[in-house]
Amino acid sequence: MGPQPTVRAPRTLGRRLAYNLLDATEIEATHQATLDVLEHTGVTVRSARILTLLAATDAIVDLERQLVKFPPSMVEAAIALAPSEYLLAAREPAFDMFLDRSRGYYCLEGGPSDIVDLASGKVRSPTSQDLIDATRLADSLNEISFLWPSVALSDVPPADQAAHQTYLQLANSTKHVVAMTTYNSRDARVVLELGAAVAGSAAALKARPVVSSFVCSISPLTWDGPPLESALEFAAAGVPCGVVCMPVSTAGAPTTLAGHVVIANAELLSGITILQTLYPGTPTYYCPFSAEMDLHSGNMDGAWGPGPVLFNLAMSQLGLRYGLPMSIGTNGTGAKTQDWQAGAQHALTLMGTLACGNVDLIASTGGIDNSRVFSLEQVLLDCELWDIAATLLDGVPFTEEYLAVSVINELGPGQHYLAHKHTRNHMRENWRARFFQSQTWQEWEELGRPDPRDAARKRAREVITTYVPEPLPDDVDREMRSIIDRYTTAGGSA
Amino acid sequence: MSDALIARLRQAVIDAEPDDALALVRELLAADVAPTLILDGGLAKAMLILGEMWKSGEVFLPEVMAAAAVFTICNEEIEPVLLASADHKVGAKVLLATVKGDMHDLGKNMVAAMLKMAGFDVIDLGTDVSSAAIIEAVIRETPAVVGLSALLTTTMPEQRSVINALVAAGLRDSVKVLVGGAPATQEWADAIGADAYGQHAPDAVRAVKELVGVLD
Repeated sequence: MGPQPTVRAPRTLGRRLAYNLLDATEIEATHQATLDVLEHTGVTVRSARILTLLAATDAIVDLERQLVKFPPSMVEAAIALAPSEYLLAAREPAFDMFLDRSRGYYCLEGGPSDIVDLASGKVRSPTSQDLIDATRLADSLNEISFLWPSVALSDVPPADQAAHQTYLQLANSTKHVVAMTTYNSRDARVVLELGAAVAGSAAALKARPVVSSFVCSISPLTWDGPPLESALEFAAAGVPCGVVCMPVSTAGAPTTLAGHVVIANAELLSGITILQTLYPGTPTYYCPFSAEMDLHSGNMDGAWGPGPVLFNLAMSQLGLRYGLPMSIGTNGTGAKTQDWQAGAQHALTLMGTLACGNVDLIASTGGIDNSRVFSLEQVLLDCELWDIAATLLDGVPFTEEYLAVSVINELGPGQHYLAHKHTRNHMRENWRARFFQSQTWQEWEELGRPDPRDAARKRAREVITTYVPEPLPDDVDREMRSIIDRYTTAGGSA
Repeated sequence: MSDALIARLRQAVIDAEPDDALALVRELLAADVAPTLILDGGLAKAMLILGEMWKSGEVFLPEVMAAAAVFTICNEEIEPVLLASADHKVGAKVLLATVKGDMHDLGKNMVAAMLKMAGFDVIDLGTDVSSAAIIEAVIRETPAVVGLSALLTTTMPEQRSVINALVAAGLRDSVKVLVGGAPATQEWADAIGADAYGQHAPDAVRAVKELVGVLD
């Protein structure tokens, strides 16, 4: 077993590389193309309530066709209203995330409908216990700063997912929780109540939002009503709500990268414009996710090829132009197990992410099979890659002490550095593997040819059987349970 | 003359040129060519050829979708004449719907195109379709197969609700049920009592063919 971190502190990405895929002219052309689409085509908004609200603004609203067009000045004004920096708080302040483009934070995968069973290695439907295990594993890992609900719960009615997931996440981790399954106002209200119970009050939640949400468009250019109404609930409460899109190129967006980017940008800016126009100053973020379509079968390929990396590079340049907090996706894979393909695709998309400049929120770890399946081992393996990435960006000191000239001169030619105090002083600063294997061939044979997955699986088992997160105070836990009871008996259960 | 026109019609469908295809259909009808001949020798044959080209990787799904749209336009032009001639035969009827609460219909649209390519009579109820609307359509259309799509893990259980509603309405034995969509699996299909599961559009066509007993 490799080293485990002894200090509990967030392992984040520092100074990022920035590869400029687009030059200034191309960024501006893409922005203007987006404004053109928003002004002349607009977006569908399937909510009579929101259409009515927007009709009283500068937006051009066709109530009957549920179509909203945005004058460019309205979009520009909305971008300017969105806060460029804000806090996503954690129950444990050490894991607070300040979104100001200075650090990159990593999160747990959200939403998979299946999980790899740790004992059998087979795929099955997840239950509440799986979400508890995944959340505890994530809580134990410094690399993970915030939590999506890692799996859909097969033992909870669909209409109650958001409530149960949010409760289980808050109760089993002290890190920031993103309630990504708030599909309507009722979901939003219960999540906000649960968050207020943890924070102390609605006002305290606004000041230190320990939960947040996001709303996702349907490509191309469509906002479903209830999810967008749930976003307004968060906005009204002053709690952050990200704006997400996930266009699949060739199917829900043009097949060209540039056209794919325009659709994504138009969806994000339309969502941000709606939020900022109706609730000015709402903390939000710019979150372009993407996927590609397999040309033969029409299957969705999660973001893992060079196309999605180029998409991220272009979108992050746009996000930086707008000065908005940003979230992007990494670790797409079509692999069905934690194999070479999963490792290569996760590593290469993560390296692409490092070149995206200073993105705040980076999703996600633990997904395989195009994020349809969740794997606890994969979380640990991904965190090893993240730790390497973070180390690359930490930078290295080249001061007198580190240049070590006095040590080199002292020992002279032909000597070794093993026993020198300088070595003992600094060797623990060097990166060490936790799951990559490097035994001798003979040892490897004797151990039964283990691979990193075996070590990760063993570690995952250890964590979920022994790790105890900081519990919620008893009274808070009671209050949250009563909120859920009230909510599910109020006609919520399907 | 009509042979040459029909060959051009096939090519226009394969090339997904709606204006050319429609003009050729009108020319053929004006020349009193039998509508069954236009349909079988022209449109259906074109889709068959396209299917082979798709299998060999010569064309991709977007080309199939475009050709299926041209097929539909031409078919609508021929249908009134065909019905008047009382000489038509159509493939088994398949009813498709994206279940209530879900607006994601790309996958379902791909399935519709591929089924049309395979010669099925496809009725598409659209998105966000309630159990009640599906039951109504089953009674009205008497399809051989109902295909239900869902993308969200939260709307997927609605597929079960539709099956339960079919049982409650006494219709379950009259129709086969196919489920699909990103979160669906064979285990899910088995658990909710569906007759088949389609992993993606081509697999859905395979499943429908099996359900209605059509051999490849």
